[in-house]
Amino acid sequence: MAITKVSNIRLAGIVGAVPEPVRTVQDCTEYFDEKEVLKISQSTGVKRWHVAPSHVCVSDLCHTATERLLAELDWSRDSIDLLIFISQGPDYILPATGCILQSRLGLSKQCAAFDINLGCSGYVYGLWLIAHMLSSGKLNRALLLVGDTASKTVSHLDRSAALLFGDAGAATAIERCEEERSMTFVFGTDGTGAKNLIIPAGGFRYRRNKSSGIPKERENGNIRSDEQLFMDGAEIFAFTLREVSPMLKTVLKEAVWSADDVDAFVFHQANKFIIEYLAKRMKLPIEKVPMSLENYGNTSSASIPLTMVHTLSDKLRNESLKIVMAGFGVGYSWGACTLSCGPMVMPEIIILPENKKETDMKGQ
Amino acid sequence: MTKKELVQMLEEIVEADPDTLTGEELIEDLEGWDSLAVVNFIALVDENFGITLSPEKIMNSKTVNELVSLLDGYIK
Repeated sequence: MAITKVSNIRLAGIVGAVPEPVRTVQDCTEYFDEKEVLKISQSTGVKRWHVAPSHVCVSDLCHTATERLLAELDWSRDSIDLLIFISQGPDYILPATGCILQSRLGLSKQCAAFDINLGCSGYVYGLWLIAHMLSSGKLNRALLLVGDTASKTVSHLDRSAALLFGDAGAATAIERCEEERSMTFVFGTDGTGAKNLIIPAGGFRYRRNKSSGIPKERENGNIRSDEQLFMDGAEIFAFTLREVSPMLKTVLKEAVWSADDVDAFVFHQANKFIIEYLAKRMKLPIEKVPMSLENYGNTSSASIPLTMVHTLSDKLRNESLKIVMAGFGVGYSWGACTLSCGPMVMPEIIILPENKKETDMKGQ
Repeated sequence: MTKKELVQMLEEIVEADPDTLTGEELIEDLEGWDSLAVVNFIALVDENFGITLSPEKIMNSKTVNELVSLLDGYIK
């Protein structure tokens, strides 16, 4: 298991952003039996979620979030040394969306910027990379931009995904600090699970072709094309049981923390059933395990920061909390960290108006 | 846990009336057996026996008896 420690790094602020349009489980009764929809919703905990209009990419949500974050922090754009964009919804196949965001945000040409293709585990990976890169002593400030617009890849006729995922982006500002503030990270990977959460077509292994976009009937009457997201919920749940509890035990042990020391366990918002089961199995009091599923659904790499803003912002604006984060899913990929957060900048979640036009490249 | 208790657990998951499953039923014929039921079954087995059943093995079980036999050695 990959385990590292780093110190003298602080999270200066987090801003979350969602697109304005909302979809509810009730809306899904158009396609599925009402009783079934309610049963699924009771299990997942999802009641409504935000859906990006066709002209809005996750980079637009991240851009809006970052503008607000920089304004709140009063950080000069020239002071940012590093930008990492973690998403499975890039603007283009190439170039990297991070490069486009460097320009849109008016960051210095001396800023390093790149993309990482990760989902549920992405936020913890981003913190890890940035913390270690800043601790080299040569870089001072970094932006971690995460999120996805799953709505663009989910079939509304596939009950395993249509009622679960929401669109969101989040921006986190991270800098070096004088206080020790130790962080401990643990990661793992099991690529044998790749087939259980996948968009098969559209990459270079399986190019988009005449038939890849045609919806077909699949398992349990679900209908989707090969260009849409497939998820085997039972396999993902079994993977979570196998890997996540041991990872949490390891990260607590390595950090020399007991579960009682922790103010909040912020888990990737996979679904309510998984989170509650993890809490039960780890014997964690449920009030220490915040959730944002009801209003936002499963928002991929944005779910950890979005949950922090949604449930912990009153505290995190004013005090320091000991937090354990855990991301787990697509890959399979998983990561956890322990860290002290706050006081930090944490405004309310931004709702990006539906009619707002964003231009992705300056002058175009 | 006894075999009877395990079958009772399964009856709760698929919302069948108590003491109605004989073991001979085809899993796919159980009205309440869907992907959420599979997840519930995995969770209850994990909780009671400390083992994570493979969803593939569960899906390959044709009858209730076959499903229960995945826990041979664990049930009394």
